[in-house]
Amino acid sequence: MSAKLEIQWTPIPNKFITWGSEIGLYEIVSLRDGSIPTIKLSNTTGANLLSTNSTHHYVKCIDIYPKSDSDLLLAIGQGNGRVTLLTFGPSQFDSLSLPGKEFVPRHPRQCNAVAWNPIENNLIAAGLDKYRSDHSVLLWDIMKCPIAPDMNGTGKLVVNTMASGLELARPVAEFGISEMTHSLAWFKTNSKLISVGMNLKNIKLVDFRDPNKSVNSTLTKAVYGLCMNPHNDKHLASFIDNQVCVWDTRNFEKPIVTLSHGKPVIKIGWCPTRHNLLASLQRDSSVINLYDIQHTVVGTEEVEPSVLERVIVPGSPHNITSFSWHASDENRLLAIALSGSVTDYTVFDRITLNWAPNSNIVWTYGRRTMKCVNDNSSIYGTLQDISHRIKQRAVMGYGLKDEFWKNAELVDDEMVANVWKWLHLSNKLVEEGILRGYNSRHPGVRSVLKVDGNVNKSDVVSISWSELGNINCHSSARIYRHEDRDKALHLCGWHFERDANSLTKFLERLQREHAFSRAAAIAVFNLKIKLALEILNQASENFSQGASLNVVAMALAGFSDDKNSMWKQLCSTARAQLVDPYLRAMFAFLTAENYSYENVLNEEGMTVDDRVAFACMFLSDNKLHEYLKSLTNELIEEGNLDGFLLTGNSGDGIRLLQRYLDATGDIQTTAIIGVKVFPGEVFANSVKEWVISYRNLLDTWQLWNQRALFDIMFSSYRPSDKPPQQVYVSCNFCGKSISAYMQGLNRGRGPFSRMGGTANKLKMSSCPNCRKPLPRCAICLMHMGTTTGIPTNDDGDNRLAEFSHWFTWCQSCRHGGHASHMIHWFKEHSECPVTPCTCKCFSVDSLGNEVCT
Amino acid sequence: MFEAQEINAEHKDLIHDVAYDYYGERMATCSSDQYVKVWDQNSEGKWILTSSWKAHSGSVWKVTWAHPEFGQVLATCSFDRTAAVWEELVGETPCPAERGNRHWVRRTNLVDSRTSVTDVKFGPKTQGLQLATCSADGVIRIYEAPDVMNLSQWTLQHEVQCKLSCSCLSWNPSLSKNHPLMLAVGSDDTNPANGGKVFIYEYSDNIRRWMKTETINSITDPVHDISFSPNLGRSFHLLAVATKDVRIISLTPIPDNASLQSGLSKLEIQTSAQFDDHGCTVWRVCWNITGTILASSGDDGCVRMFKMNYINSWKPVAVLKGDGSHISSETQRSSISSAAGLPTPPVSQTARYIKLGTIAQSREVPWH
Repeated sequence: MSAKLEIQWTPIPNKFITWGSEIGLYEIVSLRDGSIPTIKLSNTTGANLLSTNSTHHYVKCIDIYPKSDSDLLLAIGQGNGRVTLLTFGPSQFDSLSLPGKEFVPRHPRQCNAVAWNPIENNLIAAGLDKYRSDHSVLLWDIMKCPIAPDMNGTGKLVVNTMASGLELARPVAEFGISEMTHSLAWFKTNSKLISVGMNLKNIKLVDFRDPNKSVNSTLTKAVYGLCMNPHNDKHLASFIDNQVCVWDTRNFEKPIVTLSHGKPVIKIGWCPTRHNLLASLQRDSSVINLYDIQHTVVGTEEVEPSVLERVIVPGSPHNITSFSWHASDENRLLAIALSGSVTDYTVFDRITLNWAPNSNIVWTYGRRTMKCVNDNSSIYGTLQDISHRIKQRAVMGYGLKDEFWKNAELVDDEMVANVWKWLHLSNKLVEEGILRGYNSRHPGVRSVLKVDGNVNKSDVVSISWSELGNINCHSSARIYRHEDRDKALHLCGWHFERDANSLTKFLERLQREHAFSRAAAIAVFNLKIKLALEILNQASENFSQGASLNVVAMALAGFSDDKNSMWKQLCSTARAQLVDPYLRAMFAFLTAENYSYENVLNEEGMTVDDRVAFACMFLSDNKLHEYLKSLTNELIEEGNLDGFLLTGNSGDGIRLLQRYLDATGDIQTTAIIGVKVFPGEVFANSVKEWVISYRNLLDTWQLWNQRALFDIMFSSYRPSDKPPQQVYVSCNFCGKSISAYMQGLNRGRGPFSRMGGTANKLKMSSCPNCRKPLPRCAICLMHMGTTTGIPTNDDGDNRLAEFSHWFTWCQSCRHGGHASHMIHWFKEHSECPVTPCTCKCFSVDSLGNEVCT
Repeated sequence: MFEAQEINAEHKDLIHDVAYDYYGERMATCSSDQYVKVWDQNSEGKWILTSSWKAHSGSVWKVTWAHPEFGQVLATCSFDRTAAVWEELVGETPCPAERGNRHWVRRTNLVDSRTSVTDVKFGPKTQGLQLATCSADGVIRIYEAPDVMNLSQWTLQHEVQCKLSCSCLSWNPSLSKNHPLMLAVGSDDTNPANGGKVFIYEYSDNIRRWMKTETINSITDPVHDISFSPNLGRSFHLLAVATKDVRIISLTPIPDNASLQSGLSKLEIQTSAQFDDHGCTVWRVCWNITGTILASSGDDGCVRMFKMNYINSWKPVAVLKGDGSHISSETQRSSISSAAGLPTPPVSQTARYIKLGTIAQSREVPWH
């Protein structure tokens, strides 16, 4: 078997041939159809062998008749110089008795190249080795060969075609006497012109109507693999050893591009579906090099082209021996390896992509198409990106509500919702006067407890368990009390101390929310074990999900604080197996030794409020402060907004917000909390940064109403930062402000106050200062301040004039008029209504960019 | 379930860049066919080609929009060694309802480069109209239009030598005034011996010059695209780099006295994530508006998305095939994220000489 395997697409789009010792015809099938092809070419395609032909053993080169649309006609150049026509089975060419036709040179020698003329399809050029007195390029006309050799339908070839009596076909033209032809290529647009690589020393362009003198030629050793750029007849490529040269026939002396390779090149080919894309294959390699050769004209002269190189790996495990571009499928090629395995490979064009602010994403696919996914696509649902959520929340008016808890209802994120609820709570506590003197509307637990200041001595209250009705107990629970601790408990939502009712109410609420374990745990923390038992029993009786809770209740009922009691030992070990964090914490509390409650305090499944409240009840001053400090740092590090409970709106709170922003990208919540909660000048800088970023985001989404409402809210929290007046009206003649007068009017003061208050709407059509008339509307020629003449539906209260009454003008030409008149005018005109003015006022605005289809 | 809209780009050759305007309502494309095209979205969300013109005499590499407050302005750069600024004008039409006869006028041609201009980007709008270009001979140029109403006058403000051939640049889009102007530049130089291929430049107000402040030495392979994420008030900057894999670099400014004096910020540089999911050369990277999802495209013919779950924690979330079919949005691969000092994984460098990159069969490359 010949080591060299070649592959070539046929003009039939789904068929290709391979040849080495024999010629095989294959058909591509898609794997999606469920068919199982003989060979697999790629993940999606396979191929079935249709036919083989092994009658010719010394096939040197093959070219396929370009007009083969249903049946294939091959021209085979053989080792003895003959060119034979071949078909696979019966075909449309039989009637012309073409199959089996042979074209024989006068002197046998190897045929190096064979090529059908792309325009005059009956012509074949054959390039042969050197022979002393014979030509090396022979042009055959398939229709002029008189007799086909006897095929007898058996594929058995008549051996002696040189036998006398058999008239040999004469070539239509011949040239290159005692020269050697290595390769040849027809021009795609000129059927008379052929390029020939000869004698290892030159490439000639020959017009075969006058074959004895070449049209053009160049001295080069690169005479192999000549191929014409399918999109541009001026460029052809050839190779020798390690070099590939690209030639421009208009300037043939020197190659325009020389591409050096590490190893000898064995095949090159232009991509038929791309402009100027040349592929090359080197010996003993499993990759194909692609060169995108870009020609550039600077001014009038063509500068040296740029070459972008890419390397593709068609994925064949063995060295590739040949490849073939598909004629019409974009960037598709077949590669055949030494082992005979064929790979179907499509070179992906470089994809460029971009992401629009409105979540549109676009990328290029192939050369001509772009793919676009908009934000309604389901993929965004699965991504759950913060940008999407921010936009939805913004549209719902998130952050614009004055009441903090209303904002909580607009977010789907529990942590963020909890922050809003806490802000509401702390604000209420400050307003109710429970928290007083903190100079802040949202003091955190740390500032309430004065953690950073002096340590306050708290009172210790010991409550004996047995007095509370637990007969098995001898020791007592130790509770720390201080007024600051009370306040802190309020902030945590645990304000049960003074009022037993509030505890039951709170627990009832938790039960309604089906948070039974939490309710039970809180009851236990408040030393109400009986209450906890009731809660657990009720839960197990009434709700299916609480079924396991009666076992817990059973365990709880046996509570004993005897160190050596069985109960305590069992509970300590079984605790680790509990899934519910609150149940775990409950038992951890009951089994704790020496008043050390690490297992409760570090129970991550408990909410931060409960942990802090627990700490405020059961930890001594030093321990409490230590615990709160470490918890604060931990929460800030995590960017966990629950930490607000501890920090309040202090500097730590800003750090916490920044960290939250870093972790989530939720600029919206950050900016809104920053504005609403951190009014101090100290924080103005970072808050302002956030506000700028958030406003910019709303602007790019064109949520201008939301942006404006946000601005209003922002300035209400920052009276000093009030935005300056943006529109002024001043008289053309005296330059005095008119808007100032108008403002005065509204307040019932100023020179026109006597006119106000009447039922008639005020008409001001001249400058109140110099009495010169105000500008006219370009349409109705009325002065500013007069009505439009269009009847309006009076709703009685017309404090703000309708938009159509407003006076508007072009920023470019300064002409204008009543808004309604202007809109009406520009519906039909593009130019300014003022006669000599050619300003295209309406189109200057980018709003005019809307496309009509 | 999931479908990508298809647009016939009508370009005759490879499209090199596609850019959205500030609002995402207009799109510009540029191609090797030397044309630039502008697309507008109609009321049904379909993209309509509204302008197309031959912009350069070579491949047009990049196209970019200016902030709309400067008008409808585009900048392009090309292999023909120039960059150009274009403005849209409204032609003579009697009726605006028939969509004005809009056309784009070349306002200026920036011809300072002696080699191919590989990237062009408008600076943050707070700086007025600034334009940065970089070129294949390694020169970064900063132009400015002193009068924003006159787009035909641009002055070359700064010329910075980068030594290595530049392929891409990105402005830090941060709106904050707390740190100096920042530019990142990537080089497609193929020689790993030349060191890091991503450079950070900062503008010092004190000495009024652009200074190279950092070189990201962990990236020695050629860089094809680079993109700063929208900052949105974060305390650090994120830079996505398309090289042989996708990298996300975080740059955290460290406040210190020296930086206050020089007007430049000292940065702590950390590789926040590194993804080899493409398994081959990555061509482009881009961020969503909040900088929480990164999209990348590579030679495997796929668009991949990576989402931030936490600081320095990124996960692949979606793979879109180039033809628009959706492969998966599940996270089939483990998240490859790193805290500080993740050892750079062994570079699976193929022993091939690669000028612009390697394309392999699209296959899953396991992460080591």
